Amino acid sequence: MAPKKTTDQQTKEKKMAVTKAVKFDVDSDLIRRLADLMAETGLSEIELGDGDLRLRVVGGAGNVQAVSVAASPLTAEPSPNPQPATAADAAAPPPGAVPSPMVGTVYVAPEPGAAPYVSVGDRVSKDDILFVIEAMKVMNPIRSPRAGTVTEIMVENGGPVEFGETLLVLG
Amino acid sequence: MFDKVLIANRGEIALRIHRACREMGISTVAIHSTADADAMHVRLADESVCIGPPPAAQSYLNIPAIIAACEITSPDAIHPGYGFLAENASFAQIVEEHGYVFIGPTPDHMRLMGDKISAKEAMKARGVPVMPGSDGPIEDVSAGLAIAEEIGYPVLVKASAGGGGKGLKMAPDPASLPDAMALARAEARAAFGDDTLYLEKFLVNPRHIEIQVLADEHGNVIHLGERDCSLQRRHQKILEEAPAAALNDDQRAALGATVVEAVRGLGYRGLGTVEFLFEDGEFYFIEMNTRLQVEHPVTEMITGIDLVREQIRVAAGAPLSFAQDDIRFQGHAIECRINAENSETMMPSPGTITSYHAPGGLGVRVDSALYAGYSIPTAYDSMIAKLIVHGANRNECLMRLRRALEEFVIEGVDSTIPLHRRLIADPDFVNGVYDVTWLERFLET
Repeated sequence: MAPKKTTDQQTKEKKMAVTKAVKFDVDSDLIRRLADLMAETGLSEIELGDGDLRLRVVGGAGNVQAVSVAASPLTAEPSPNPQPATAADAAAPPPGAVPSPMVGTVYVAPEPGAAPYVSVGDRVSKDDILFVIEAMKVMNPIRSPRAGTVTEIMVENGGPVEFGETLLVLG
Repeated sequence: MFDKVLIANRGEIALRIHRACREMGISTVAIHSTADADAMHVRLADESVCIGPPPAAQSYLNIPAIIAACEITSPDAIHPGYGFLAENASFAQIVEEHGYVFIGPTPDHMRLMGDKISAKEAMKARGVPVMPGSDGPIEDVSAGLAIAEEIGYPVLVKASAGGGGKGLKMAPDPASLPDAMALARAEARAAFGDDTLYLEKFLVNPRHIEIQVLADEHGNVIHLGERDCSLQRRHQKILEEAPAAALNDDQRAALGATVVEAVRGLGYRGLGTVEFLFEDGEFYFIEMNTRLQVEHPVTEMITGIDLVREQIRVAAGAPLSFAQDDIRFQGHAIECRINAENSETMMPSPGTITSYHAPGGLGVRVDSALYAGYSIPTAYDSMIAKLIVHGANRNECLMRLRRALEEFVIEGVDSTIPLHRRLIADPDFVNGVYDVTWLERFLET
């Protein structure tokens, strides 16, 4: 039962996130020009709209050059104990991810056999209970940080959860 | 023996413990903060658990998070390393109440030695020489003045809960004692939440000599000789060596036997270090550390004994695998603590290691969790490596140390390697003529 390794949150933030709407042909020259513009101006985010189409370029470090410099030594160093990357590890947490505020054992329902607190598709309000995490024999209710619709549940009942691991995604 | 050990620490000592475990066939669980997700101890451990954000209070000092990490990984035992929770008796007790073995002494022994006053009383009662001073807390300035008059100036005002130089003030004469007491009280309250003070004679030019002991729960106690840790800056050790040049074989054997008897009398279990000040042929007990020490490798180098392995064995209930007569001290060893600090200004220098090359060869050991590309987090201690060198005698050890320091490359951050290069070229150091005040004077020149 080896808990999964997680990559450094900060390196995730340094990766440039490019989001686009469907049917949008990726114009790499445009993205490159926008990235250069961001580096030049110090902007951290640029969004363009044209009809249904939207292009957003986000540089977490605020500097495109810093990304390649910081990223290369990390990837160049082979891990002595490589772990198979899972979907959750490979990429930055999806937008709307609710991270675990603590390490422990996660439960999706108040007791065995009971209905889960939340299921995919449920609307939740801020402060609704989403899960319970057991740590040191204490059951800690994990409340929703905001209102939204549950689009994905990332944990299994009774499974281990690390600090910062994504519990579920709110749309 | 244990099948799995959770290492409740980070950095080089987490790696050190991991190494001992692997050689014993024990699998390891690393815990880490988000700042240490790429750390070497996390990469090498069999399992790892992220327990919190970078601040130590919310991760490496977060007892509920560490116990929760145990609950999801089911280790047999927890090794606390040094620093963080290593001398926290409540932590040891909580660990045991949750059914895990704490690799260290009992919580009661940790409490006894964690309080400087009770520690001194316990040692004095068992024939260990102690520093003349107040035999308990001093309530107010007039009580302090009376005791200081009796033991003679200069005196040292100390916090009962103290450590790391906090709550420690020297008073050279009666006029300065009230201020020294007020400052020590304020520092102790801020640092430990306990402003109990006591008073001791202050030695002008002592050496710091400590005895390594090891005890099992079957009443077997041995000592593994001494270390001279006199080279200190702001009460932080910088370089340690064994054996101490200032001690002869008779002094070593006599002090060792006294300490062994005292530790046996306490019913102590595990590794421990009994620290003394040494001046004019006399020893004065300062404190006992109930844990693995940073400088334990110098003892390992001259005895050939893996202290972490023995610590784990006795925690599992095994008897010591050797007797006092089996211990042989061979040659000389020196450890240099390499910090991510500027050698001139001593300012911390966190950052990314752009290039790293550790020295090697016969008699050279590097305990470090560094690698090229590693980013030193700002949230923790600045010690990034320990260079330990062994030689057939002190002279060979010094020549080898000089050679190893020439080879050592750490680029991207400032380190104290240049300081060590200067230090070991100094005639006083080469001749072994130094005391606890020497390094600060050396740094001023």
